[in-house]
Parts: sequence; structure tokens; C-alpha cells
Amino acid sequence: MEINPAFDKYMDHYFDYLGFWDSPSKCGLKLVKRKDGKTLAIATEIYRQNPGTPVTEVVAPLATQILKTSKEAPGNFIFIEHTPDLGSKLSFYGETFDMVEFEWDGENFSNPVWTRLSNEQVDGMMEGL
Amino acid sequence: MKFKLIYPRWEKLEGQTIFNLPPHGPVVMAAAVPDHVEIDFTDENVEDLIIDDNVDFVGISMMLTTQVKRGWEIADQYRKLGKKVIFGGISTMLHAEETMMHADSVFLGEVEGRLDDVFADFGKNELKKIYNFLSKPPDMSLIGPANRNILKKDLYYHKGFRMVDLFHASRGCIYDCYPCAVRYLGGRGFRPRPIDKVVEELSQLDNNRLFIVDNSLALDTNWEKELFKAMIPLKKKWVSHTIEDKDEVLDLAAQAGAWYVYQAVFDTSDYIRNRIKQYHDYGIAVEGTILLGLDNQTEDDIKRLVDFLLEIDLDLAEFTVLAPFPHTKAYSDLLKQNRIFDKDWNHYNAGKVVYQPKHMSPERLTELYHYAWDTFYKDEPQTMKMFNLINKVMSKELSDGTYSPRRRDLANLSFGKQITDLV
Repeated sequence: MEINPAFDKYMDHYFDYLGFWDSPSKCGLKLVKRKDGKTLAIATEIYRQNPGTPVTEVVAPLATQILKTSKEAPGNFIFIEHTPDLGSKLSFYGETFDMVEFEWDGENFSNPVWTRLSNEQVDGMMEGL
Repeated sequence: MKFKLIYPRWEKLEGQTIFNLPPHGPVVMAAAVPDHVEIDFTDENVEDLIIDDNVDFVGISMMLTTQVKRGWEIADQYRKLGKKVIFGGISTMLHAEETMMHADSVFLGEVEGRLDDVFADFGKNELKKIYNFLSKPPDMSLIGPANRNILKKDLYYHKGFRMVDLFHASRGCIYDCYPCAVRYLGGRGFRPRPIDKVVEELSQLDNNRLFIVDNSLALDTNWEKELFKAMIPLKKKWVSHTIEDKDEVLDLAAQAGAWYVYQAVFDTSDYIRNRIKQYHDYGIAVEGTILLGLDNQTEDDIKRLVDFLLEIDLDLAEFTVLAPFPHTKAYSDLLKQNRIFDKDWNHYNAGKVVYQPKHMSPERLTELYHYAWDTFYKDEPQTMKMFNLINKVMSKELSDGTYSPRRRDLANLSFGKQITDLV
């Protein structure tokens, strides 16, 4: 599947994950190794290209799957949820970024808390600032 | 085997005209039940449910979020009697994790071709906790006529007037609309039924008035036109969601019996104004569906929208406040912003505010919701506007010979109850 050009600044490839009831699901993913040694993961909701569960609804298990794939330590892992601009006249489909913080029980992330970020903040975080 | 199928009751919106339509989910499900199973159906919205152990297996079919708590309560009581309970339907899928705590089994997805195995498993005492077909929709040609024989049809009359029967010609939707969960429930593709199967079912329906419940008929022009062409000889009169605004489609829809359509009115644009006029030009009435409390609506926007509705000569209007149902983008967005403050599913009736609106307090949004209803129906009450719509369909029916007079023997009953008892 080709990457939607509207989404590509913040994604390098597609990531397959299991959504609700093990439904095959897909999001965009960009992993950035920052100057400070931490790994920044940006998971992009790809709407109609995602056949399964939206990113927000399974964000904690999804972040766990990405963490394990990246082989990063939980304390060195920063997770951002991205919804791209769909070009709709409805404001609900504009671009948003949220940093998601979790609790870590030794095996899995849980209890997500979202904090809205600006594009500039995300660009800065990608550089490790 | 005796299978007790139950459609739980829910509390109707305060101040709204109450009418109970024969439910659709249970009759679609009943059509897929193996022949050897005897189905005893109770719609709790029109009759009392007697819970006893005179059943082998219990099914609970739920469509609305406001049904789930009652459904769980019923299941708990049957399970105390030692009966196995399986859940299915739209709101079972939306609330599956919670429902599992009250169920021996939950069925997720669409039933055609799947229930023989479920009942066989029950017979072997090997019922699975989950039957998950969410990602595996059935072949559309397997969808035959719904089994409406399970309904007690006399209960769906008000003062002798029969309610519309529900019917579907397609499943799924290509859109990701903000408040809608169809992308989760029905997949992200549009799946029309074969036209001959649709006509077969329509031909068997003894009700001339229908509500075609498809999310949208406007997703495949060629199929839509073929559908309407095939419906013309049947002379049914029907209500539906959106129809495409192409003239040739509207012309065919009118010939096929389009009575009125639900049209979302989300702004005060000429696009909406012209769209309503276009329906009216083809003799199709319009009920506007207006969702209040979106993040792009201020108090002034809502008041302007109500004024606009009066200008464009809508036949009916239905106002709701945003209800962030699970598995919708609305739910995801409000969840991320920690704006949902009420998780009592009985309050998710689209008349109560369960989240913090962006531009006003929840109390103010509630006031504006009532303001919208009161202002729109100030000069002509909802019952009068509905009466006008019924007159329109009666005229059409009288002219094409399909009119059935109201049932005099049910004139003193409203959904099975004596009208004097309801006063």
C-alpha cells in the first residue's frame, strides 16, 4: 500500500496491529531516534486505509506493540498520536497531535492521558529538544 | 428447542412523541436461526417481559446504547435461573467488553450463515464466549427476507394506524462521519444487497409503508437507480436517509414511492437550502436531523440554525445533542480531551448532555436543545406536522390504489395499551 502523500511527513511506513477482538488494523508509523537517545514514535490514524480499530481506541496496547518492536526501554519511549488533515470543511478532520503518557506495569502500557501539541512542538520534539 | 428472544426497553426522550416501530435487528437475526428452533419474541417496549424458566436458551438483541443496562439486567436474572444467554446486535458490538460480564456468549458481526453453528454449540453445551465475525461480513446474497413472523404485529399500531416496517437494502458505509459508528459495525465498504433479493423481500411485506434503514442510499448511483426502478411496480411508500441529489435519481425515487427523507442539516448554507427545495420539487418531504453541541457551534450558531430551519420550510425536524457513542470519532476526540463526564449509558439518548461542550456549559446546551424543539414547533406542533405528512402519503396511496384504512378494532389502543390507561 502506498503512503498517502497527505500523511507522509510524519510517517515512514505502515504498522499492522491487532485492534478490538483481534481485528487486523493499520496505522502510519514514524520512529525517530533523538539526539538525547530517546525514541519518539508517531502513530498516524489513516482513516479509510485502516480496516480495523482506530488508533485512539487501542492506544495503550498499540503503544505497547510499537515499544516492543522498537526494543526501546519504556522510560526512553515517547509516544505521539497524529490525526492528519483530511482536507474536510469539517473542523473535526483537521490535523492534530497529542502526546500520550501511560502507566507501565512491567509488561504493558495502560491508562493513557493525552496532551495536545502544536505542529511546531512536534517538530521540536523530533529533534530532541 | 425454545429460544426466548428479547428486545429490551429504553426510556424515550422527554417531551417527544412516543412511537414504537417493529424492531429490525431481531427479525433479521430470526431469519438466520435454524428451522428446528422455536422463537418466542418479546419487545419490551410494547409488552411486559415475564422472566421464567420455561425457555431453553435466551437471546438479547440490542440496538441502542440506552438498551444495554436493561439488557444486562434481564440477562442476570435469566442466568440466576440457570439459563444460558447470548447477546447480539449493534449496541452489543459497541459495548462488547461490558456485555461479556453479563453473558454466556456474545455474537459480534452479522448473522447470516453463522447461527447453525452457534445453536449446535449450545446443543453440545459448548457455547463459545465470543463469536467474532466483525471483520468477516457475509456474502450479501445470503441475506434473505427477514423473519417478521416473530412480531406480534397488532402491538405496532397507534389509534388504528399501523407503524412503518423497517427494511434494509444495503449495509456498511464508505464515510467516517463524526458521530457515527458504522465504520466499526459494518465495515468501511458499501455492501448493497442484490436487487432481486431486495425485491423478493419487499414483495413479501404486507405493510405498504416502510422505513429503509440503510445508512445512506447515496453511495452507488447505478445500484441506487436500479433499486428505485425495481421498486416502482411494488408501489410501496417509504422513508429513508439521504438520497443522491441528481435529478434522475430523485425522479426515480419519487416514482418508487419516496415519502420523506432524513436530511442532516449542519449549516445555513445555500447547499442545504437548495437540497431541501430539490426534494420538495419532486414531491419528497424532508425531516431535518440536526445535531447540536458540535465544537464548531456557538450559542449564536445554534439560534441561527433554528431560524434557518423555519425559513427553508422543513416538513419535520428532529434535534439531538451529540452523544459520543463508543467506537466513533466523536468518542475518540472527547476521550482524548477528557471531556466526557457521564458514563451512565442510560443517559446516551441524544437528549442529555454527557460531555463538556466547547463553547458553553452542559446546562446551556441543554437549554438550547429545548429552545430548538420549542421554537421550531411553536406555530405548528409536531403532531400536526406529522399529520400533514400522513395526509400526503394517504393521497398518494389513494391515487395508486394502495391505501389501507386504519384498523377500527385497534382505534382505542396505542401500541397495545388502552389509550384511557395512558392518560
